Amino acid sequence: MKVTFDSQSLEINPSEGGYIAILNGKSVSIKIQRADALRGRMDLLIDGQRVNAHVSSEGAKRWVTINGQTLMLTKTSGAKRGVRHDHAGGLIAPMPGQVRSVAVGVGDVVKKGQTLLTMEAMKMEIRIQALKDGVVSTLPVQVRQTVERGQILIEIVDGLER
Amino acid sequence: MFTKILIANRGEIAVRIMRACKELGIKTVAVYSSADQNAQHVRFADQAILLGDATPKESYLNADKLVAAALQTKADAIHPGYGFLSENASFALAVESADLTFIGPSADSIRAMGDKAESKIAMKKAGLPTIPGFEGTGRESSAELMRMAKEIGYPFLVKAAAGGGGKGMRVVNNESEFNEAIESARSEALNSFGDERLLIEKYLPNAHHIEFQIFGDKNGNLVHLFERECSVQRRHQKMIEETPSPILTPKLREEMGQAAVDAAKAVNYYNAGTIEFIVDPLRSTFYFLEMNTRLQVEHPITELVTGFDLVQWQIRIAAGEDFPFKQMDFHQRGHAIECRIYAEDPANGFLPSTGKLLQFIEPAGPGIRVDSGFATGSEVTHFYDPLLAKLIVHAENRAAAIQRMQTALREFIVHGVVTNIDFMQTVLAHPDFAQGKVTTSWVEENFKEWNAVEPSVECLIAAALAEIVLADSKPRSAVSNETDPFNPWKLANNFRVSDK
Repeated sequence: MKVTFDSQSLEINPSEGGYIAILNGKSVSIKIQRADALRGRMDLLIDGQRVNAHVSSEGAKRWVTINGQTLMLTKTSGAKRGVRHDHAGGLIAPMPGQVRSVAVGVGDVVKKGQTLLTMEAMKMEIRIQALKDGVVSTLPVQVRQTVERGQILIEIVDGLER
Repeated sequence: MFTKILIANRGEIAVRIMRACKELGIKTVAVYSSADQNAQHVRFADQAILLGDATPKESYLNADKLVAAALQTKADAIHPGYGFLSENASFALAVESADLTFIGPSADSIRAMGDKAESKIAMKKAGLPTIPGFEGTGRESSAELMRMAKEIGYPFLVKAAAGGGGKGMRVVNNESEFNEAIESARSEALNSFGDERLLIEKYLPNAHHIEFQIFGDKNGNLVHLFERECSVQRRHQKMIEETPSPILTPKLREEMGQAAVDAAKAVNYYNAGTIEFIVDPLRSTFYFLEMNTRLQVEHPITELVTGFDLVQWQIRIAAGEDFPFKQMDFHQRGHAIECRIYAEDPANGFLPSTGKLLQFIEPAGPGIRVDSGFATGSEVTHFYDPLLAKLIVHAENRAAAIQRMQTALREFIVHGVVTNIDFMQTVLAHPDFAQGKVTTSWVEENFKEWNAVEPSVECLIAAALAEIVLADSKPRSAVSNETDPFNPWKLANNFRVSDK
């Protein structure tokens, strides 16, 4: 079975009471000593070394803690990497939160550095400012709307040539 | 003594206050918003009252609803915790005029210390050293402010007189930044506090933030409970606090402690309060910064080194008991450190992270205290503060306390939101921290670009095994315990629940 997290893939298959993982052409032997599904805890022997891990999964996200260090990995479809859309003139929410105010409307001409909208989360307010001069082409959010991190807030296209 | 107290707060501090109430045999009333119906503080209380919507204005900031909830449940007192309405003089008055007790100082003390400009003027009068600067009336022209600023010299800080929490605050490094800073600080002050008065003071970038806990009763018995060093900050908010401070000499400690007591006496203060100072380590000089007229987030480190339960005594003083201790009764024993575990991403500019807590496993052991308001399954929403828990350790000296904190942080497992736990480890392991050299601008200067480590081979394997091991066994274990290798009911031995 092939699994890909973010941009790293590994092949993992059952073998003699354990598993064999192949990663970057190297093979690693794995034995599961104990697994506690409820607490997401696994005690593993990886190439003979003891590893205690806590794992949680939620959708495509995997949270892993080993030796007190926690990482969040995202499982991707395996074959190809998740392609990121390039929103050169678009602005995405840098954090989850609520739209506090919107200062512009579709069709408005904006200047680089101008505050377009403000967001608030956990008592913190941040301003979303235009990265370039242009015209507001889409504005898919409204005041008081809750947004996720990475959601598009507004898009700016180049203004007409004069 | 009170028979029932309403706690006008949420999260870890509400739980902390309820613990003190339970120890004193007092019943507790929790209040909550619609976003918090399954929150820990609601489950922990004897009674819980729904205030309204998740928006703070409809719930935790709504004075009328809070007073009504206290009257409805026949509580005799309200503890405000920190944040929300804890430093709101009109709320304290509203509580008192409903014949309830406000657990905290008088409304007059709150008002006197709440305004940054007025409190600074009052403290100057009381003989405290204040940061060189200028307290405006709000009517000065920009030209007048510019002249004042030139006298003080660059860099300086512009602050909203009515401000707090870093809002309406700007650092001005040179003349070209002046106009923009004044205008934006003024508009932010007006928007956030409805008050455009500004304060200008010399900016001390390489300073330490050191505060003194003070405590007293209504008869003027007033002591200080030593200092807390709070210089590890981001966005003017504290991340790590410790006591004793690694830089205070016994002489400076005594001078500052006396100044803190004088400051509190000048406003007839009673109950728990904190005097914040800025300390210039090169010149060994200190300046009054502000007073917080409430219980502080970082109060547990003081409790651990003094052995004094601040929250229990807040309640006892409010109930009319005398404070029986003198300054000489208090000593600092050992060293305590607190790390604030925030739901925020240090690799994304410390911006908040929200979600459902998939795992929340707290560390334990000798000298380890966790004040938390969350558990596995709790929701972390964008409506409130990102503080998940406070991890506090106590050990015989600073080096041992740092080691204990590092070990405890390794055992703290939070899945579902990104936290600053790994970042805390970076700070604790830094030579500057070990040497006590951290100043208030240190985090911003040293960690502009901070990235989480790349996943190790072990990490990728564990994530891949989650698919196989956990996903496979989870649905079945929910129905029966067949896959649980430790199920005592399935053991082939003589285990019985009771042999009688």
